[in-house]
Amino acid sequence: MTSLKRTTAGDPHGANISSKVFVRSTKSGKVQKIVRELYLRQDIPCSSTLCSLCLSNAPADANGAASESPQRLRNVPVVPFVLSDRPAGTKTFPNGHYLVPDTNVLLNGMDLFEQASAFYDVIILQTVLEELRNRSIPLYNRLVGLTRSGEKRFYIFFNDFRLETYVARDPGETINDRNDRAVRRAVKWYGEHLQQAVKAAGRARRCPSIVMLSNDKDNLRKARKEKLEACSLHDYVSGLPEADRLLDMINEIREEQGSRTAHGTLFYPEYFTQSKMMTGMKAGTLHQGLFNVSPYNYLEGSVHVPAFENALIVLGRENMNRAVQGDAVVVEVLPKDQWKAPSSKIIEEEVLNRNENADADEQEAVITEQEQKALVEEAKKTQGRSIGGHPQPTAKVVGVVKRNWRQYVGHVDTTSVSLSTNEGRRQQTVFLIPMDKRIPKIRIRTRQARELLGKRVLVTIDSWDRDSRYPVGHFVRSLGELETKEAETEALLLEHDVQYRPFPKAVLDCLPKEGHDWKVPANKNEPGWKGRRDLRDLLVCSIDPPNCQDIDDALHARPLPNGNFEVGVHIADVTHFVKPNNAMDSEASGRGTTVYLVDKRIDMLPMLLGTDLCSLKPYVERFAFSAIWEMTPDADVVDAVFTKSVIRSREAFSYEQAQRRIDDASQKDPLTIGVRTLLMLSKKLRKKRMDAGALNLASPEVKVQIENETSDPVDVEVKRQLDTNSLVEEFMLLANISVAGKIYGAFPQTAMLRRHGAPPASNFQELQNQLKVKRGLELRTESSKALADSLDTCVDMNEPFFNTLIRIMATRCMMSAEYFCSGTQSYSEYRHYGLASEIYTHFTSPIRRYADIVAHRQLAAAIDYEQLDSSLHSKGNLESLCKNINARHRNAQMAGRASIEYYVGQALKGQIVEEEGYVMKVFSNGFVVFVPRFGIESLVRLRDLAVPEPEATFDGENYVLKTTGSRTETIVLFEKVLVRISDQKEESTGKRKIRLELVRSGGLS
Amino acid sequence: MPLDTSSYSFALLRLDGRRWNELRRIHAQISTQAAADGSSYLEMGNTKVICTVAGPAEVRRTGGGSADAEVKVEIDIAGFSGVERKKRTKTDKRVAEMCYTIANAFSSSLLTHLYPRSTIQITLHVLSQDGSLLAACLNAATLALIDAGIPMTDYIVACTAGSTSTYSSNDETADPLLDLNGLEEMELPFLTVATLGAGEKVSVLVMETRIQIGRLESMLAVGVDGCKQVREILNEVVRKHGKKVVDSIIE
Repeated sequence: MTSLKRTTAGDPHGANISSKVFVRSTKSGKVQKIVRELYLRQDIPCSSTLCSLCLSNAPADANGAASESPQRLRNVPVVPFVLSDRPAGTKTFPNGHYLVPDTNVLLNGMDLFEQASAFYDVIILQTVLEELRNRSIPLYNRLVGLTRSGEKRFYIFFNDFRLETYVARDPGETINDRNDRAVRRAVKWYGEHLQQAVKAAGRARRCPSIVMLSNDKDNLRKARKEKLEACSLHDYVSGLPEADRLLDMINEIREEQGSRTAHGTLFYPEYFTQSKMMTGMKAGTLHQGLFNVSPYNYLEGSVHVPAFENALIVLGRENMNRAVQGDAVVVEVLPKDQWKAPSSKIIEEEVLNRNENADADEQEAVITEQEQKALVEEAKKTQGRSIGGHPQPTAKVVGVVKRNWRQYVGHVDTTSVSLSTNEGRRQQTVFLIPMDKRIPKIRIRTRQARELLGKRVLVTIDSWDRDSRYPVGHFVRSLGELETKEAETEALLLEHDVQYRPFPKAVLDCLPKEGHDWKVPANKNEPGWKGRRDLRDLLVCSIDPPNCQDIDDALHARPLPNGNFEVGVHIADVTHFVKPNNAMDSEASGRGTTVYLVDKRIDMLPMLLGTDLCSLKPYVERFAFSAIWEMTPDADVVDAVFTKSVIRSREAFSYEQAQRRIDDASQKDPLTIGVRTLLMLSKKLRKKRMDAGALNLASPEVKVQIENETSDPVDVEVKRQLDTNSLVEEFMLLANISVAGKIYGAFPQTAMLRRHGAPPASNFQELQNQLKVKRGLELRTESSKALADSLDTCVDMNEPFFNTLIRIMATRCMMSAEYFCSGTQSYSEYRHYGLASEIYTHFTSPIRRYADIVAHRQLAAAIDYEQLDSSLHSKGNLESLCKNINARHRNAQMAGRASIEYYVGQALKGQIVEEEGYVMKVFSNGFVVFVPRFGIESLVRLRDLAVPEPEATFDGENYVLKTTGSRTETIVLFEKVLVRISDQKEESTGKRKIRLELVRSGGLS
Repeated sequence: MPLDTSSYSFALLRLDGRRWNELRRIHAQISTQAAADGSSYLEMGNTKVICTVAGPAEVRRTGGGSADAEVKVEIDIAGFSGVERKKRTKTDKRVAEMCYTIANAFSSSLLTHLYPRSTIQITLHVLSQDGSLLAACLNAATLALIDAGIPMTDYIVACTAGSTSTYSSNDETADPLLDLNGLEEMELPFLTVATLGAGEKVSVLVMETRIQIGRLESMLAVGVDGCKQVREILNEVVRKHGKKVVDSIIE
């Protein structure tokens, strides 16, 4: 028998092969042992432009080797060398330096590395990159982005693959110690290697120092012993210009972690271990969901979990246990005797905890006395069980699966800043109050406290430990003075995660070279004409809001000899310019949608396309994607054709212009007749849709009039609905529905569709009850048709606005519509509830929505115009795309609303108006009033009514709040009230907001 | 969790530190089981296979049998060979397909007409899996058949070739890759190619993932080139073994 046993010593390659063994546990709790090979090599370059040795044996990719390309001959490596030959230096390192950060430095100071003023020529070691990826995927992505952009000369050095720098883990050595050792080894090698390189060059070049950045004292000590340049991030930044500003951006708390926990009081219970949560969830005793904070009461959170129909309520700080809005948390349901009804009280953080000292943590309990009192009062009421309906299950947070922390905008709490003059620029701890009321105060340490007062400030949360009442964060940058347009606009863009930076060069490079001179080619043999129908002789026109620049859609109608009509919807052919997978496409898919603010538009596509080349402007030829139907005079669709086309719009109407043209009987030209035909058909289409159960919902939409020069708001008006608005809408809906059917037919698994789920009956419970109690009306919600019909019956003869009010409130009970990939749902789930359509997609606004671009590509493939890009064949790809554009879409809407809110506030600045409003919601210590004239709703608190705060009795069953004492009023749900509107700077968020004061209940009369 | 295949473009390094055109270490031995007619042990990286050959042996069935020897293949994948312990059934479709592919390849490369009415039984034991399993099985079988002294036109040598980016990312600049390990096989598109000898006669080509047709050519070229390298290595193993046998006879 021959023995198979052998030693690696005999193997000629033995020295170059190592293996990595590690143990990991899978999601299901299994433990796996993974063995991977490592091939150690010596041709991994140092990437310094000083070094000629590495340059000569830089690696080649397949193309470089396959064809001796000119690139290879000129000795330019495929992966360019990035580290500068004259790196910047500091006082300590006059010869210039390359930085080598360890993982902790990156975790604590990623914001610093993104600064433009310093941190160039950075070597990221593979060891560090892998560790960073384990610790934080977002930070890893930011680092990769920084590296790929090339601007900051970051280089990833694969030290674990290079023979000289590879470090095997010693028996008994912790993985952290091994990684630290690997970093030190790499630093050492780099130092020696560069010395050699400089010597070999023979020129009198200064050799840059290799500086290891680490916050680990032990690591620093060992490095110094090995005669390496090493310093902590703090020390390094102190030596830079602008040190004060930069130092604020370090995540201090993580640095001090060890020392803090020793003496602090622990405010919060400990989180469960991973495995305990896992077992708990499997057993059904624990539940996972997204944590949401009530916008009215910062001490009440809710978590929706599949096991319960109603959301679980999380009450009080201790039960919330450091969860922040949006985090994925694991909760444990509390025993039944602690269940309670949702709050009927407004609790705002600013009121309760106004005078806290940011530094003093130790003396306080988790729940301040005032908070305690507020909670007890709440609890008392619940015991009676009569108020606000049935008790709901409550829960407490026992663990956080995933933090959803982002950067937050806010302002520094004035009371937390010590202003004594002799303190100079000493570091102090202050509170930052976020604009988003659902986010708790954030404690930050800063040296520039006084400069930051009255500014909009961007910060991030770093951690929230058990010994800290509030999360701890650090300063990122200042956006500018509070209430200046620039600062507030940027703040709301950041708050809603809108990407507003100018398009990078790579994106602009994708635009047609001709720029604004681009034209539809005159010669029909040009490739652009391939597969297109020439529809230039059709009388096409567009109808949009006034001054619309990005015209997505245009229409035409003409009679056919058989008595039917031909109707065409022509959509801008964006996909002709935006090809899949180029830089412009990925930028657009990242942005997802154009965001409309009152004074500003954040485009999804560069201006050149959006407002010129794609825009279906009048009198010029444009590429379009057309849907053409044959319709009977009763608006039944006989036939539908989709084709790429070339059109020439005859006119761009505003809604009002179009309306006037239609109404003017003297106009008899074919274009006007065409528009009249469209209007006639659209009314029939609308009727059919309504009969099928489409909902006519309302939202308070107002428009802010802006003075052109200064773009200061001058007035607010409620948007008007004209016939022509619904004309365009009807045909867009028709186009979307037809296209949805077509792409679903062609790609049953991967069509990009839009659905609107039926709202669960529980959403309407409250409103149903309110209507029954107050008006004796019945709201039926079993189907959209029933809902539409019963909404029509909700009228009050004396109060014409009542119906609209109910529609607004019903709208808020709805689910939000969402994009989805057809393969992820069953066909019955495709339904669009609001439009009462079986299937729906977005096709008609490709200039401003990415979903439409996808639909265009799929439709083009469905009609065999072009091949579908492979990325749209993949379900997983589409799913992540949908997830992104759904989120972007929601954010864009919220940003738009926030912008209107800001401008309404500005428009009313300094004015005091009395206006009628309606009571929308009644709490035990206040009520919400909606003012239709300005489309605003706001809270009126009892303590605003009179001083001292009047006594009040709250009848939750009848939605009546009676006040006695210092002022006597009776506030009843749905009733008219007269309010005085003034503006006020809200202390808690630093926003200028309108403030309502009750003049009297009962309206003008 | 270490990095994934998307990090290739940073430094043109793969997950295990190889370049695009490098094979993993191949270690092979011949005549490892004295009891078998032919046997071999082969490692391609961490993929480890033992192969034994029995035959050519007479068929005991009644009723003639064919004029050519029949090649039968059996693969046994050990429960401990993967990361997770898994029991494979006899009717596993994947294994059946591999058996069929191997049998087919060798039926045409072996001079089966020399052994009418007989069978050549190839048995493969997979001890450890880390990618390129089919290729490793083909290579191990070649060595064992040589050890068994069954005449053949040339070696059948195999390896895998992949591409550095996935189908859906549609990256036209993607590099082809040679000899994928298990992790790469999970993330990237790849094919298994086997050639007859060092020429460009492809005898096996298996591909189960999607890829743009434009990228296929370079992948195939890299794969065929890899097969050439594998043949060199196997050839050396055979010659070394042969020399040892000759030496022992002379002594």
